[in-house]
Amino acid sequence: MSAFQNGMAPVRAMEDDSDVEEEALVADYREQVQYEGGMDDVDQALLAQQTDDIQAKLAQAAQPLDFQATLETKFQSYDNYCGLFHFILNSESGPVDLEPPSYYWAWDVIDEFIYQFNTFSSYRARIARQGNNEEEAQILRENPNTWGCYSVLNVLYSLIQKSQITEQLAAMRRNEDPMLVAGPYGSKNLYRMLGYFSIIGLLRVHCLLGDFSLALKTLDDIELNKKAMFARVMAAHFTTYYYVGFSYMMMRRYADAIRMFSHILVYVSRTKNFQKNTQYDSISKKNDQMLALIAICVAFQPTRLDDTIHTALREKYGDQLLKLQRGGPESLPVYEELFKLACPKFISPVPPDFDRPEANVDPIDHHLSIFMEEVKTNMWSPTVKSYLRLYTTMDLMTLAGFLDVKPEELRSWLLVNKQRTKQLRWTDNGLLEGDWVNISDLDYAMQGDLIHISEAKMGRKLVDWYLRNLSRTYA
Amino acid sequence: MNGEDPQERPEQIRNIINGLERYNPQAAEILEGYLQQQCEEKFCDCNANRALLKLYQLNPDRIKDEVVTNILVKAMTQFPSAQFSLALHLLSPSHSNPGPNSSSDLTEAVSKLRDLNLQLESAQYARFWATMDSDDIYADLTTDIAGFEEMIRVRIAQLVSQAYREVEVSVLESWLGLDSEDEVKKFAIETCGWRIGDNGMIQIPRNPENEAKKTEIKEDVTIDMFSRVIKRAWEESA
Repeated sequence: MSAFQNGMAPVRAMEDDSDVEEEALVADYREQVQYEGGMDDVDQALLAQQTDDIQAKLAQAAQPLDFQATLETKFQSYDNYCGLFHFILNSESGPVDLEPPSYYWAWDVIDEFIYQFNTFSSYRARIARQGNNEEEAQILRENPNTWGCYSVLNVLYSLIQKSQITEQLAAMRRNEDPMLVAGPYGSKNLYRMLGYFSIIGLLRVHCLLGDFSLALKTLDDIELNKKAMFARVMAAHFTTYYYVGFSYMMMRRYADAIRMFSHILVYVSRTKNFQKNTQYDSISKKNDQMLALIAICVAFQPTRLDDTIHTALREKYGDQLLKLQRGGPESLPVYEELFKLACPKFISPVPPDFDRPEANVDPIDHHLSIFMEEVKTNMWSPTVKSYLRLYTTMDLMTLAGFLDVKPEELRSWLLVNKQRTKQLRWTDNGLLEGDWVNISDLDYAMQGDLIHISEAKMGRKLVDWYLRNLSRTYA
Repeated sequence: MNGEDPQERPEQIRNIINGLERYNPQAAEILEGYLQQQCEEKFCDCNANRALLKLYQLNPDRIKDEVVTNILVKAMTQFPSAQFSLALHLLSPSHSNPGPNSSSDLTEAVSKLRDLNLQLESAQYARFWATMDSDDIYADLTTDIAGFEEMIRVRIAQLVSQAYREVEVSVLESWLGLDSEDEVKKFAIETCGWRIGDNGMIQIPRNPENEAKKTEIKEDVTIDMFSRVIKRAWEESA
């Protein structure tokens, strides 16, 4: 639980995080990984000995369901979760006296619970859309509440409330002892960990349902820094940043999205040498997804990336990135391709219409089509900018001639590009907060048909580079 | 600034959107009343309206078509911002994507509003007014929102002032959807506080946005940034 106590350190903005802390975290993580490596045998021996039914249930709840599990197994799994959570939440004799099997158990349970909810909803929607499996459709039709959205939300909120985790986190932010507000449940490891990871679970569920601002609001009590409790569990760390970054992107806060993705991608690149293979496979997939999302965000808002990410991005999506940066109608299919590849598996919270297969639209297509409207609105900005950069003043009619568009059309492009240079950017406090800043180095104003252009000169930034290389030499 | 949260929010509404009450189907009625109030009193609480859409998302039997479209129109008045999109994301996929043979009134209305919003977002203001005039359905869809056209007009003017120092009367006329040059001048002078220059163009006062000043971004280097290196060097030599 050391991470939890670490979290009590003074409030600190993420960018202040020193390399020393990151170093410590990396070292800590390496230790865990190696430690686990040796634990497998002991673990299994231990499990075999455990005659206690509930311990086995706890362990089972964290186990992934087989990929090809039948509908019956999925129903069964849902019942198991309901049983387990009911037992934990509504035990008559107060809090259940159990220690979680491991420090990452609570994450695994919540993660698996939501994953199964997600895949079940997608599966149900697919059966309805395809409309050729009457047998399963009938079972699903008769059980609309199995893996229902309300019950999943209910579990997560109940765990949060029971553990008083929100109060505990608030106390920690005030540098007070969380135990004072933890209550009989929250002072137990089991409840506190489940409560904590339920908050991250909610972030994910809201995002899957397309409620991006509520997703970010959920994390109001958690500070995103390397000392946060989730940072101790690699998968949790990774998942949190993916969903936060994605939500920012959908709220058109590209600077913040890039900051999130960059942070976690740099961290992964530093730890990948000692990832275990199985774990690394899933991380590697998400890693590529986040690179794709960063490509999209950078196309919306040209940004200098960390060298490691920049190199990885060019290797993985070099061609696509070029097309995105060039803009225009040719870039549209690339945006679609990358979005589909990298977005969460969106779901609809209510059962589909089994009687009219054609009426069921895939939620991914729904969210994609909304996103693409924003892409289309902005697709001429790279063209406009590339011309404006060459001049200090320019006549609108001349530029319209160069671009072969009507002046009226060009005025719209100029207005759109100008409007999008202002963006809400996070500085402090909750993730939804921020200041309106001008994020472009290119600015212009119109005087009738005369465009006055000014470009901000970027001085070279050397301190960061110098410090990084210096610490590398030392190490 | 972008209609996300109003300066003051009734306590009852605050309790709903910040607590578990937001999942209570009965809260829908209160939020619907609050939306009504927003429409009449010309303010916007997109955050609260999304809570209502969320309730509809979870309880589709409660959906009221005109409430959904009013929320969208309200969000539209906040262009250019993500408000309209954020609201759309909460609609059922079948409502916002008309299928080949499943077309309801709501689906059609949503698709019309999406077109309108797209025109505002992509700064095609003249086209927006033309679309508004092209079909009675647009007047029907926006009729509940008091002062809709005026709000759009003021918003456009505001955006123009952030990009222009001087603008031609005829250009502004098409963007504001007004019928004559006199009306444009009247709007510019009375509503916006702009003036007509000697060259016949509309003069917009300088503001930080339409200045386009040259800036140079330099790196501030302070001794603190090197504190760790110095400390380390000190420790190692000691």
